[in-house]
Amino acid sequence: MDNPLSLEPLFHLGPVPITAPVVVTWAIMLALGLFAALATRRLSLTPGKLQTVLELLVTTVDSQIRDTMQRDPAPFRALIGSIFLFVLIANWSALIPGIEPPTAHLETDAALALVVLAATIAYGIAGRGLGGYLATFAEPSWVMIPLNVVEQITRTFSLIVRLFGNVMSGVFVVGIVLSLAGLFVPIPLMALDLLTGAVQAYIFAVLATVFIGAAVGESHGPAGQDQKDLPR
Amino acid sequence: MTIDWWTLGLQTVNAVVLVWILARFLFRPVSRILAERQAAAHAALDEAEAAREEARAARDTAQRETAAIAAERAARIARAQDEAAQEKRRLLDEARAAAEKARAEGMDDLARLRATQERDLSVEAGALATDIAAKLLARLPDEARIAGFIDGLAEAVAKLPETTRAGIAGGGPVTLRSARALSAEEQAQIAQRLGAVLGTPPALSVETDATLLAGLELETPHAIVRNHFRADLDRIRAEIADHE
Repeated sequence: MDNPLSLEPLFHLGPVPITAPVVVTWAIMLALGLFAALATRRLSLTPGKLQTVLELLVTTVDSQIRDTMQRDPAPFRALIGSIFLFVLIANWSALIPGIEPPTAHLETDAALALVVLAATIAYGIAGRGLGGYLATFAEPSWVMIPLNVVEQITRTFSLIVRLFGNVMSGVFVVGIVLSLAGLFVPIPLMALDLLTGAVQAYIFAVLATVFIGAAVGESHGPAGQDQKDLPR
Repeated sequence: MTIDWWTLGLQTVNAVVLVWILARFLFRPVSRILAERQAAAHAALDEAEAAREEARAARDTAQRETAAIAAERAARIARAQDEAAQEKRRLLDEARAAAEKARAEGMDDLARLRATQERDLSVEAGALATDIAAKLLARLPDEARIAGFIDGLAEAVAKLPETTRAGIAGGGPVTLRSARALSAEEQAQIAQRLGAVLGTPPALSVETDATLLAGLELETPHAIVRNHFRADLDRIRAEIADHE
């Protein structure tokens, strides 16, 4: 029996093997990109239903970032919002027959966690300066430097494992039940996966926000007023 | 468990590209339109605030103008009342003056009428007294209408100043009026009595004047000596008039 966690390439682009998660991710990117481009083509000051939904999404992401970081959400909006949307759509893609969610594979979760780690470091350096950011590893004392470094790694791993474990387990459970019981029996479990997928997307986005917020430090001004010119 | 590093790398690139795509086509446009709506709302609020301030200013101006108009109205009413009061006083004064003038004129007219009536009454009384005296004198003998007045005329001449008497005595003929024609005897008696007073009998030019009723009147260039009823009646009437 093949390892269910191993990936077999669907095809090769030159020397690069293209696996199913990559193809599904491209499909999700294409769908999201087309949807975003079409939906935002005619924005107006008097919004329609679709624009209202998009504005609700953006304001909700902004509100979440502002509540967590106590900062202007603009520099972080695209990253946090994109991660949330991608993880949510990827988790829910399991509803499509024959599609295995990319987040059920360790490589996708690791890629997202690496992006968050890189963003944390980049925003931390941008917000505090290189010296200031490195100095945070010596807080509250230089003795804590090893622990803080380990914390950076472990919390990235926790992001990976949490998302991977939840989504992969859901997919496995549905697959096992489907193979044992029949066609319609896993439907309640799939509905549960919808909830689990949404919760995991929210958790991943919120944890990313928390990590980035901790890296850039506390704002000394009111929310919405950025203290340093962070990249947007 | 193995990691497919190619898949990991591709998914990392995919994640970064997806962040860029959504930032470019979703989050920036939507956040921009949100900011524009917020700015429009702020602008509308500012405009509404400005309009409200303008309305408040207009209301204050209107209130000030209303107050000014009310004050002006009150001032004009007060002025009009003052003018009306002055006009009323003036009219009353004029009416009072006119009434006073009319009353004074009436009093003057009344006084004149009374004076005229008194004069007329006096004239009538004089005429009546003359008639009474004439009727009374008619019962007396004609000699009494002359003889009883000769001594009185002489005494009156005697009371004249010396120079007047000398002028009468030394002058030309003096006019002697009598109530009736004098007889020669009466003329002689009068001349004799005047001569006794004047020293020399004066030359007499006798005239008859019935209005004298009774008595004599001597008229010289310097004096008139009256001793007749007419003069007495005139004096009495004058005294009565003075007394009233």
